[in-house]
Amino acid sequence: MKGGLAVALGAGAIAAAPLVASTYHVLLMLPFMAYAVVLLGLNLLFGYAGLVSFGHALFIGLGAYTGAFLTTHAKIRSLEVILLAAAALGALVAVPVAALCVRYVKIYFGMLTLAFGMVFYTFVLKFYRLTGGDEGLPFLRPSLLGQSLDAMPKTDYLVGPYYYYSLAVLGLAALGMWRIVHSPFGLCLKTIRDNPAKAETLGIGVTRHRFYAFVISAVYAAVGGALLGPPTGNVDPTLAYWTHSGNIVFMTLLGGFTSFFGPVVGAFVFIYLQNWVMSVVPYWRLIFGAMLAVIVILAPDGLMGFVTRRRPALAGRT
Amino acid sequence: MAAGLQVVFGVQKIFNLACGSFYALGAYVGVSAVGWYVGAGGPPALFIVPLALAGLAVGAVGIVVERGLLRFVYDRDETFQLLMTFAIVLMMEDAIRLTWGTAPRSTAGLYLAYGQVQLLGATAPVYNLIVIAASLAIALAIGWLLARTAFGRIIRATADNREMAEALGVDMRRVYAEVFTLGTALGTLGGALVIPTTAAMSEMGIELIVEAFAVVVIGGLGSMRGAFGGALVVGVLRAIAISVYPELEMLLIYLIVIAVLAARPRGLFGGAAA
Amino acid sequence: MILEAKGLRKLYGEFCALDGVSLGIDAGEFVSIVGPNGAGKSTLINILTGVVRPSAGTVRFKDREIGGAGPARLARLGMARSFQLVHVFPDLTVLETLQAAVVARLGRAARLFRSLARDREVQAGALEVAELFGLADKRHVPARQLPQGDKKLLDVASAFALKPVIILLDEPTSGVSTADKTAIMDTLVTASKRIGLRAIVQVEHDMDIVFAYSDRIIALHQGKVLADAAPGTILADQRVMDTVIGRKAASPRALSC
Repeated sequence: MKGGLAVALGAGAIAAAPLVASTYHVLLMLPFMAYAVVLLGLNLLFGYAGLVSFGHALFIGLGAYTGAFLTTHAKIRSLEVILLAAAALGALVAVPVAALCVRYVKIYFGMLTLAFGMVFYTFVLKFYRLTGGDEGLPFLRPSLLGQSLDAMPKTDYLVGPYYYYSLAVLGLAALGMWRIVHSPFGLCLKTIRDNPAKAETLGIGVTRHRFYAFVISAVYAAVGGALLGPPTGNVDPTLAYWTHSGNIVFMTLLGGFTSFFGPVVGAFVFIYLQNWVMSVVPYWRLIFGAMLAVIVILAPDGLMGFVTRRRPALAGRT
Repeated sequence: MAAGLQVVFGVQKIFNLACGSFYALGAYVGVSAVGWYVGAGGPPALFIVPLALAGLAVGAVGIVVERGLLRFVYDRDETFQLLMTFAIVLMMEDAIRLTWGTAPRSTAGLYLAYGQVQLLGATAPVYNLIVIAASLAIALAIGWLLARTAFGRIIRATADNREMAEALGVDMRRVYAEVFTLGTALGTLGGALVIPTTAAMSEMGIELIVEAFAVVVIGGLGSMRGAFGGALVVGVLRAIAISVYPELEMLLIYLIVIAVLAARPRGLFGGAAA
Repeated sequence: MILEAKGLRKLYGEFCALDGVSLGIDAGEFVSIVGPNGAGKSTLINILTGVVRPSAGTVRFKDREIGGAGPARLARLGMARSFQLVHVFPDLTVLETLQAAVVARLGRAARLFRSLARDREVQAGALEVAELFGLADKRHVPARQLPQGDKKLLDVASAFALKPVIILLDEPTSGVSTADKTAIMDTLVTASKRIGLRAIVQVEHDMDIVFAYSDRIIALHQGKVLADAAPGTILADQRVMDTVIGRKAASPRALSC
């Protein structure tokens, strides 16, 4: 029950943050919560199905652009509608992509997802009229639960209603994912990660399970991507760029893919650390690259690895 | 340039996301070398010499990267190897930014130092022909290296069966270091040679890596002949795309990769493997 | 007849691994497939379990043609198998491994939001098999930490947890000490009665095990059925005994069919 207590404390701390922390830090919590949603989904693929995608920026971008497009072009401002649309579109795009990608594993899977991600990136960049090209699209302030909050000053809106809205989405997303990984489906995914040939002889449809996991993770990424938009008020193609895909894999690894909340912790640490490093020197990639190298070599279970002390499945296998 | 990627992947079974970064590095160093050369009063006609030398020399980075980072992950899952090369990408990107700044660099003017020729009714700068000839020469040289020399035999043996090669007394550490350095040098040399035709940008590596990946995938992983065929296919298709609808040039490459992986996972030229 | 193969032939290029093998497995039988290395035993079991598609011939299981149907579909039809080399899920515990099999058997593998912990049928089913195979004490141990013998047992147990009609075991006792071999076989036979298994087919090198447990022995040699008879008959046939257990190793061959 220690785990439950830690989660309750974490959730409590996030909920209390706007009351005690400075606005600056509270604003940083917004991308953290958005990424946390993305990573919960990504880790279903990475930690539970053993597939590392280098193209999930596609779905983040898709979610973010869905929101931007709806608010600017379609005059739809309801965040509920935006999130649902992002989820639906994420699933829609994920179906063909997943159908192709899950036929491969390891490096082929990684490179194929990267190629798909870059197709989307190129699309966003080139179809200027729809996406605004490299300038991106504005993401107008969405209304929450039918309440238009346009009159509110931007910061008040973000640290107030939008903050708690994000937290609620994150909570729901975590709850949903918790149920998924503790369901029969989740167990079957783990068998596939550990030994696909054996899973097959037990009558578990390997490709089918990987496919579902991919689609679910894409939906999570799209929802998280849509949440990334309102804090900056703008979405641009870098969201869909392949290094962005790499960064979210990095976050997952940083927190630890072997534990359920590892990626959430990873997102938190990544965002704060990146912000802090950038305030000191502009070359955060240099430092983060070195950090990633160290993690890969010395601590493949990430930060949560120090807590759980369980040898990861992937690291020991060749 | 896919040659470098191909050699490294074939032997070490590591897919190097960072090869694009090496390419960019070669380009920047090439620009600097040429700038220094011209500044020192060297005859413009010979600028290709310092360019090529700089490209080759900076390939030494390969040793540092291999010894310092990659050797730790040889026994790990491929995913971790991929992530390690991603870490290198991140570091290299900022290292380049730190050294050369963010503005694009070019060797303006020198590109046409060799003049132009009429070829099949089109005008082509002589330099382009030199680069094409050089790539062919490099590819042939590597083919020869792999097929005829003792070093080549060791590399091929390692690629086929690492344990067996090790049992026969091959020093795996040295082979890996040499192969990786060779692959890196091919990448940096490629970057340096291509630079007079374009400008060095920190992003240039990324397009390359996808392109090289496309070449390799189309050709079939780990096959040298395949890399050739793949390069040809990609080159021709790009040329067509540019003349028909330039917007879609890169898009087309990604789509080819996806199509090939969907239809012929072992590549168009890949043989039947187990 | 539960499982029936007719005229199976498998070519790998010029090499003929199986050359017209026919066999049938009846309900209630324990059949062992024996033969020297390279006789085609592995190819045969891979064809029978749908992993490899035969070049010619048919396999019928429960009156259905199953040539190359794929292991997942066969598992759902009621055919389970274990591998020569131990196949476990390194990071899953004994109980989780068995639960996965039970989940698959009950067709609940795609249940996304149901709680596994509250699925009584799955929990009870997994525990029952764990007890049957004497793994109940170790049910929370990850498979990677089990001793070799227990890994083998878990591999077989997970196949049993599918409650199959027939089970094909590829060297169920290979890599296990002689003392453990009999124990594994006894557990296996007891368990098969408890879960209502209709037939067992095994590939086995250990002739003591083969003669002690089999109702019938099929001897393969150079891709053909050399003998198909009760253990007593096989023992009396000097020619078969020489080929199958004789000291001389199988001669290398590259026959074309």
